Amino acid sequence: MTETPAAAAAESPCGSCGAGVPAGSRFCESCGTPVADAPAPLQPPSAVPSEDHALGDAPISAPTRRPHDALPDPLPDPGRRPCGTCGGEVGPDLYCLSCGTKAPSERDHFREAPATWVAGVCDKGPKKSRNEDAMALLAGEQPGSRAVLVVLDGVSNLVDSDVASLAGARAARDVLRTPLPAGMGTPQSRDAAVTQVLTAAAAAANTAIVAITDPDEPNPASATFTAAVLEGTRITTAQLGDSRAYWFPDGGTAVQLTVDDSVAQQQIASGVAKEVAETGEYAHAITKWLGRDAQDVVPSVAFHDVDGPGWLLACSDGLWNYASEPDALAAQIAAAGPVGPGELALALVAFASAAGGHDNITASLARVGPLPAVPPPPPPVQNAGVTAAVPAPPAPPVVPGEGAPTDG
Amino acid sequence: MAEFTTAVFQNEFLPDGGTDVNAIVTISCKGAGTAGQSGSGDAGEIIIVDTSGSMGPATMAAAKDAAQAAIGEIVDGTWFAVIAGADRAMLAYPPVTSGPALVQMNPQTRQEAQASIGRFVGSGGTAISTWLDLAGQVFASVPQVTQRHVLLLTDGENRERPGRLDEAINRATGYFQADCRGAGTDWQVAEIRRISQALLGTVDIIPRPDQMRAQFQEIMRASMARGVADAKLRVWTPQGSQVLFVRQVAPTLEDLTDRGVSVNPLTRDFPTGAWADESRDYHVAIRVAAKALGQEQLAARVQLALGENVVTQGLVKATWSNNSELTTRIDKQVAHYTGQTELAAAIQEGLAAKAAGDEATATTKLGRAVQLAAETGNDEATAKLKKVVDVQNEADGTVRLKRAVDKADEMALDTASTKTTRVRPAGS
Repeated sequence: MTETPAAAAAESPCGSCGAGVPAGSRFCESCGTPVADAPAPLQPPSAVPSEDHALGDAPISAPTRRPHDALPDPLPDPGRRPCGTCGGEVGPDLYCLSCGTKAPSERDHFREAPATWVAGVCDKGPKKSRNEDAMALLAGEQPGSRAVLVVLDGVSNLVDSDVASLAGARAARDVLRTPLPAGMGTPQSRDAAVTQVLTAAAAAANTAIVAITDPDEPNPASATFTAAVLEGTRITTAQLGDSRAYWFPDGGTAVQLTVDDSVAQQQIASGVAKEVAETGEYAHAITKWLGRDAQDVVPSVAFHDVDGPGWLLACSDGLWNYASEPDALAAQIAAAGPVGPGELALALVAFASAAGGHDNITASLARVGPLPAVPPPPPPVQNAGVTAAVPAPPAPPVVPGEGAPTDG
Repeated sequence: MAEFTTAVFQNEFLPDGGTDVNAIVTISCKGAGTAGQSGSGDAGEIIIVDTSGSMGPATMAAAKDAAQAAIGEIVDGTWFAVIAGADRAMLAYPPVTSGPALVQMNPQTRQEAQASIGRFVGSGGTAISTWLDLAGQVFASVPQVTQRHVLLLTDGENRERPGRLDEAINRATGYFQADCRGAGTDWQVAEIRRISQALLGTVDIIPRPDQMRAQFQEIMRASMARGVADAKLRVWTPQGSQVLFVRQVAPTLEDLTDRGVSVNPLTRDFPTGAWADESRDYHVAIRVAAKALGQEQLAARVQLALGENVVTQGLVKATWSNNSELTTRIDKQVAHYTGQTELAAAIQEGLAAKAAGDEATATTKLGRAVQLAAETGNDEATAKLKKVVDVQNEADGTVRLKRAVDKADEMALDTASTKTTRVRPAGS
């Protein structure tokens, strides 16, 4: 661990319940919310990014430290969990103590919201027996500063794919805790250094997955890997397999940022129509993955500069199966209305559940700029009087035909 | 240390729009130990013997002998007392007029108590309310006694102004338990059953004096085996739901619904008294708001609580399904105990109609009882019914009232009406 004795003694308030959390803790002792901020300090960028670089104070080269462990993180202690239906408390028998609704297990449905502008939902989906998707998020407190979205999709029916994918996602997140490197000053040098960090993140995820795989297991766990890092106005993505990242500029044309490593994608490249390829026999056969039997764990790294407000989405195929075209997904985002990232992620999961829900569903989002058509989300303010004056966020829209989002 | 386990029998599948959830929850106790020795407080026993003038010489002799035998069954160290009941109650043993009115059992006190019982003479009337009130005062004089049990024997009808007995029963409810026995046939089953039901005990008839000793010994042995004092059935139900009923259905039938004490807005405690190594079945019926198909929801948490300590829990669930093969099935245990509950009602209503001279109703009700006893395999009820009616067709429930019926047989049928049988294991 990188914490110092002095740092370990300090406490900071939990982002979810406000209880004191000792520095270096991974979870709040009171409410079990994962602590977003790492022991290694995450510096928000300077308000005005330097001319050619989002982060003027980024390190020159890739971090040299290795991920501190390759073991899967424990799931947070359920502790006092809110009921998804009535807001009551979920009892130790996994039923709500007020309304009796059955709560999904912590692995089957979990949410992360490391900052007001970044959130995600990872859900088992109505038709699957376990949640092999995994998600790990990071965000700086300042809206639009720095966000990391990592999504892994464990390959179905392989032993421990659910454990492996979560371990991998968290290991990759650990590598991406520090700002991406600035390189030696040229764009080429910077891109090479950034590519190296994202490759290291994929390698760390792979190490974590292999570490929990039984060496004698004939069907070793494997997973896709999609990481999207937003720093200022630049999005960097790293890709293995068929989870995806999208950029949805407000009012602009939506873009798919990643290219699937799949048989379907190869068919599309060779001229087969997209809708034919994506619904064909091998639609979900992937050509690159993480795991003990993976041949190539070097991700495809891509860059995208944004010039206005919008949504960055990293998701698993459980979502895009029902809206593969960027415009179709953009329509779902528009349908959700002007909501925060947490509500939007729930709305997208509810959409995929209602549309069929044949796979696990993960949707993680980062907002660039203020929310459309509503007052901008207030910057975190310490003064309670000021907070009280801010209008409450609008209720999530009711989309006809959809069930409660939390039921997956 | 006693160990408790719970099993839930139910069909959790409800049809679209279904709201009523029925379940049988079986709670079993192992390793209960001996009364007063589980560390949760001392045990106290009071034997109340009717010494009114109506007790004939034979009955009185048998009652004395039986009470002495019961004293013999009380484990050394247990606090005890003997009360002689007539138109007022008298503390027969220990011979004190103030201070602690219970003494601990040892060879000497046992002998003294048996000697004082030997001096009982019958005279005066029957005022059972005074007996219960004195028992309560005697228990209260020794605060370390937390498990309180009374064995009450009477032979005649209570002769007090209406309501007095019920007031005394209310004062005793929740404070001590009472097993009641009626000697001969001059007592009222309904009256004594009110006492035993409120005070979480049993009621039965002892038709002949020579049966008394064995009965008393059995009751006292059973009481001494209850090493777990004062357990409560704790039932949680979800917000917006309604408890239709909570019944103990085995070994005997007791409707607990109105005896619930609110713990919090969603949780109620129902008294169950002390426990020996035994298992009891409870039938809970809950009405919940219907949910969408495929949704699962908890309809009740059924727990056993010792003090504030929940020692076991069973979950009653509801899952809405459009598979009619699942939703139309009725759980075997639920069906069995629903039948046994109806059987008890049919017997009691049939006998009441017969006593009131309404032979048509009596014939219908007792006929239905014969039918239900056969269906649910309650052989004891069948045997007792056959002493009161001539069965023409068991399956159809056609019967004829017997012309000459032994009063004791009728009372035995009445007292046994709340005894239930368990579901027979498959294949037997």
